[in-house]
This record gives sequence, C-alpha cells and structure tokens, in this order.
Amino acid sequence: MPQSRRLVLCVDDEAVGLQVRRMILERSGYSVLTAHDGPTGLKVFAENPIEAVVLDYAMPGMDGGQVAAQMREHKPQVPILLLSAYMSLPADLSGLVDISMTKGEGAPVLLQKLDSLFSN
Amino acid sequence: MNLSQLNRVLLQTLLIPVVALMFVAAILFLQIQSAERTVVQMQKTGNNIATATLASALIVNEESGLRGYQITSNEIFLQPYDYSQAPLDSALQDLREGLSQQGSDPRDVDNFIVAHNIWRNSFAAPLIAATHAGQNTHDSGLNLRGKAQMDALRERLNSIIEGQKTQRTLVVETWQRQVRETLEILVALALIIGLAIGFFARSRLHRVSDAFQSTLESLRFNAHRTFESEQRLRTTLTSIGDGVVVCDVDGRIELLNSAAQQLTGWSQADAFRQPLEDVFRIVDETTREPLETPFAVVKRLQRVVGLSNHAVLLGRDGSELYVDDSGAPIHDRSGKLVGVVMVFRDITEQRRSQAALLATEKLAVAGRLAATLAHEIHNPLDAVGNLLYLMQSGSSPEESSQFLKLASQELDRVTQISRAMLGMYRESKTPVAIDVKEMLESVLLLLNRQMSQSQLEIRTDLAPDASVTGYPVELRQVFVNLLTNAADASSKGGMIEVRTKLRRTGPKTGSRQAGVAITISDNGAGIPDAAMPQLFQPFFTTKGEHGTGLGLWVSHGIVEKHGGTIEIESSTNEQNHGTQITVFLPRIEG
Repeated sequence: MPQSRRLVLCVDDEAVGLQVRRMILERSGYSVLTAHDGPTGLKVFAENPIEAVVLDYAMPGMDGGQVAAQMREHKPQVPILLLSAYMSLPADLSGLVDISMTKGEGAPVLLQKLDSLFSN
Repeated sequence: MNLSQLNRVLLQTLLIPVVALMFVAAILFLQIQSAERTVVQMQKTGNNIATATLASALIVNEESGLRGYQITSNEIFLQPYDYSQAPLDSALQDLREGLSQQGSDPRDVDNFIVAHNIWRNSFAAPLIAATHAGQNTHDSGLNLRGKAQMDALRERLNSIIEGQKTQRTLVVETWQRQVRETLEILVALALIIGLAIGFFARSRLHRVSDAFQSTLESLRFNAHRTFESEQRLRTTLTSIGDGVVVCDVDGRIELLNSAAQQLTGWSQADAFRQPLEDVFRIVDETTREPLETPFAVVKRLQRVVGLSNHAVLLGRDGSELYVDDSGAPIHDRSGKLVGVVMVFRDITEQRRSQAALLATEKLAVAGRLAATLAHEIHNPLDAVGNLLYLMQSGSSPEESSQFLKLASQELDRVTQISRAMLGMYRESKTPVAIDVKEMLESVLLLLNRQMSQSQLEIRTDLAPDASVTGYPVELRQVFVNLLTNAADASSKGGMIEVRTKLRRTGPKTGSRQAGVAITISDNGAGIPDAAMPQLFQPFFTTKGEHGTGLGLWVSHGIVEKHGGTIEIESSTNEQNHGTQITVFLPRIEG
C-alpha cells in the first residue's frame, strides 16, 4: 500500500475500461488523472506532477509507444506501465517503458506491477 | 496440263493421222485417175490396131475376091469383094475417128481412103466390068499396076498399125512409169507421213506423259505431305494433355485421344461408334444433374462454345474429375455440320490449388483480423474482469448495479465482435438473402480498430433496404479485403467512404438485372497506371511482404460467382488522388 496518495495518469481510448481502471486505482489509494488519447495524456502529463503512467498501447492516432517516447523526453524518471490488448508488442518498446502487461491479466496483477514501480 | 489441254492433244493425235491419210488418198486418187486415162489411151490404141488389122484383112478379102472372079468369072468368087466394101468403109471411118481421138494424124487414113478409092475405081471396077463382059483381063501391065497399088495400100495400113503399136508401147511405158511413180509416191508419203505422225504423236504423248508424270509426282508429293501432316496432327492430338473427342453428326464417337481415353476410362476401341453421352458423362458439381454435353450445345448453336466449369466428369471406373470443356463444329466444304470436336481438361488439380489459395487468403484475412479481434475482445474482457474485481472487493448495491450494467455492455461488445467474426467463417452451402447494410456494418466493426488506429475517418452512406442473394461469408471476405486495401492505401488522417446504392440495371451493357452497387473510395495515393491491368492477377501485390497478392483475385472470383462485377477507378493526380472500387451485386429474385 502506498504511503501517501500517489498521482497516476491513466491513458486509454476505451471509455469503460478507463473508468473502471480509475476506480480500482483510487480504491487502492492512488490519485488518478485520465486522458482518452495520446495528445491529451501528454498535456496532462506535462501540467501535473505525475508519478506514474498507466498507458494503453493501441489507441487511434498516437499509439502508446509514441506517447511513451515523448514522456521519456520530458520526464524520463517517471515510470511507465504499458497495457496492451495484444499478445506481443513491438520489440523497440521495451526500452521506452518500465513494465508492460496484457489487458485481461486482472486487477491484482495491475496493482502489483504498479506497486513494484514505486518500490524499485 | 489441264483437262482441256489434254483433250486438245488427244484430238490432235486423232485428227492429224486422219487428215494425213486423206491427203495420201487424194494423191492416190489423182495418180489412179491419170493411170486410168493412160489405160483408156491403151485401149484406144488397141482398138485402132484391131480396126487397122480388120481393114487389112478386108482389103485382102477384096483383092482375093477380085482375083477369084478374074480367074473364074464366077460371080460367087466376087462375093468377098462385095461384102468387104461396107465393113471396110466403116472400119476406115472408125480408124479415122480413133486416130483423131487419140491425137494421131488422121490424114494417113484419109490418104489411104483416097489411095484405096483410086485402086477400086481405076483397077478393081474396070477389071470386074471387063471380066463380066468376058474380055481379056490378063494384061500383065494392068495387073502389075493393080498389085503395086494394093501393095502400097497394105504398106500404108501396116505403117498405121506400126505407128499405133509404137504408140501403144509408149502408152504402156507411161502407164508403167505412172504405176511405178504411184508406188514410189505412196511409199515416200507413207514413210514421211508415218514418220511425221509418229514424231507428232510421240511429242504429244510426251507432253501428256510429262504432264501425267508431273501430276503423278505432285499427287505423290501431296499424298506424302498429307500423310506427314496427318501424322503430325495425329501425334499432336495424341500427345496433348487435353482430352479430345471427335464425334460424327449423330453424336457417335469417332476418336478419343490418349488424354481423353485416360480421363474417361474408355479405350478408343470400346468407345468407337458409342453414343457420346455414354462415354462422356458430365454432371453439375453441386446439383449432380446431368449436364448438356458440348456436342449438344454445338449442334444447337452451330458455333464454338466454351462451357461451364462446374462440370464433373464421371469416369467409366466411377472416378470423378472436375473438367473444363469446350466444343467446336466441324463443317464440310458446303458448310454442312459433319461432326463436333470436343476438348476437355482435368482441372481437379487446378481446383485443388485454387481451393488451397482461397484457404490461404482466408487465413491471411483471419491473420489480419486476429490482432483486431484480440484487442476487441481483450478490452471488454479486461473491463469486465476489473468490474468483477471491484464488486468482489466490496461495493454498495448502487455501485454493483452500475458495474453489472457496464459489464453487460462490455459483454455485448464481445458478443457483437464474435458474431461479426463468426460471420466471416460460418459457411453456407446455398445462397441466402443478405442485408448489405448489416453485412458492411459488421465488417466495418471488425476493421474499426485498425481504421481508428490509422486515424482514418470512415464515412458511410448505406441504403437501408439493400439486399442481395449470395454467400455471406464470401462477400464479407470481399469487403474485408477491399476495406483493408483502402486502409493500407490511405495515409494517416485519410478518409474512406462506403456507399451503397440500389440500381435498377447492372453496369454490363444491356443488363436489366437490378442489384446493389457498393462503392468504397479512399483518398490514398492511387494506383499507378502500370499496375492497373494486373490488379486481379493472383500474386500481384503492391504491399511487398505484407500482402499475399490474392485479395483482389479472390474478391474478383467471388463477385463473379455472384454474377456481379467489380470495377476500379484510380487517380494518382496530386489534386484528387485516390481509388474508388465499385462492386455491383445483382439481386437474384425468387
């Protein structure tokens, strides 16, 4: 459990998925900001002291990889968790994100992976 | 040499000897006439000699009668003298005429007559009168004078006879010469004409023989060529891979080549004169109804026909082969139908490889859709999983009810996607009515993720009551292909439009069939002109390793199978680049 409420940014184009993920994270003690696409996510990311990002890969327009690359440029210290509905992601993404997981692995795995980002 | 030349030569060889013989006959006729004239001359000379001899005998009679009367003074002895008078005058007249007719001088006879008259008047008459008077008539002077006169008369006659004899000898000689000449001319003419005719006939016959020889040569050459050409054709016929069946105008088999024998299972000997339907049995691949043979169709239409490729050939041993067949009429010189030749080919392998290619393309479509599918299923499942987690970890009844509603919504999405996906693979054996709007919407749903990822805007204008009859799985595959192509061709931010329109007539000229036109247009780069002709060829792709090159080929095949058409218009122009594909599908009534 986090000591204080950490500010997490969730970016996903799936409205329901994003809403539910926000509830789970908030219940687990995180403060959550959401964005429904890459450009909005980057804007929120730039304007707020985001401590971690939960980023969906497959989004219209900018995909997760592009968003992650720009985030890394501005604030390389902020850890990024990449979510994907695909079984496999392009290989060149591994350097851009800290950890990745497949959608459908379940909320406990998400919470555990997010938690691990802070304990490192 | 043609027939009229030959006839002319034959006529010449017949007529020329006839003319030559007539010429010889004419010459002979003239010669004989001339000889006849000579013979007449000979007869005349003979007559003259006989007349002169008679005259000579008569003057002897005269003289001896006169001498007898002079000696005996008996009148009886004077009779020969008296009786000779008239015949002698007549003979001398004849002789004179004979000589003048013969062309000799008649004056000898005249002179003789004069001399005879002198003898008669100056010697005979006085002597008779003296004897009658009983006077002495033995004066030697008188008698000697009388004798001398008589001798002179005899001399004259003898000279005439001799002249005539000489004349006769001359005429005989002339006749003999004429006969000899005739013989010589005859022999010479026979020789010359015989040789001429011989040479002429020989030259003509040579010409005929040469012509005959050359005709024979050319016949032999033609026969050889015909034989060679027949052999060549026969070998070609037997060695080609396609089955060839030739039948007569009644549909009885005349020839099966090796391929046809192999495909039908009938040998040439067994099949010969058998009705075609017994040997070449074809049925429709789906209905199994017997199909009209190419023979029947050709006989009906009297032209070359290519036939359905849905035919299955039933072999003699019960084997079944997919065949592609065609037929062509055989006409004689007058254009009358005398037989039909049919060509067919085993397309079982082709069908298998086509089926394999179709399966490949289907898998490729599935592969393309797999990522979308995973995404579209994983997203709602993830949300549902998370909602369940929230409910499990304690929620108020209000929250739970809201979560359940959300979860149900998400599951509906999964169902929709899975239905759309199933629609891609649930095969249907018979054509069914298809709502085009619904079909296109479900295809677009499957492609939605892919499109939105590429930031492509999709605009649709789908007529609500557009329906066609067909195979939904195959048509979905067509539109997945066409839409994927449009998406691949578009750059980010591009726009794809999907429109349907009901049409009362098809795009084919004269087509009165109503149907639906589905147009998919993009504003991508457009297709270069060079690629346009190859678009529907298998294995042609502009996507490099990312494409199978089968999409449009398969789509084309499917649309054709539905009796429809597919048309592509494209422009690479900077201002209005893009591609527009229109698929027309006929509405099959009933």
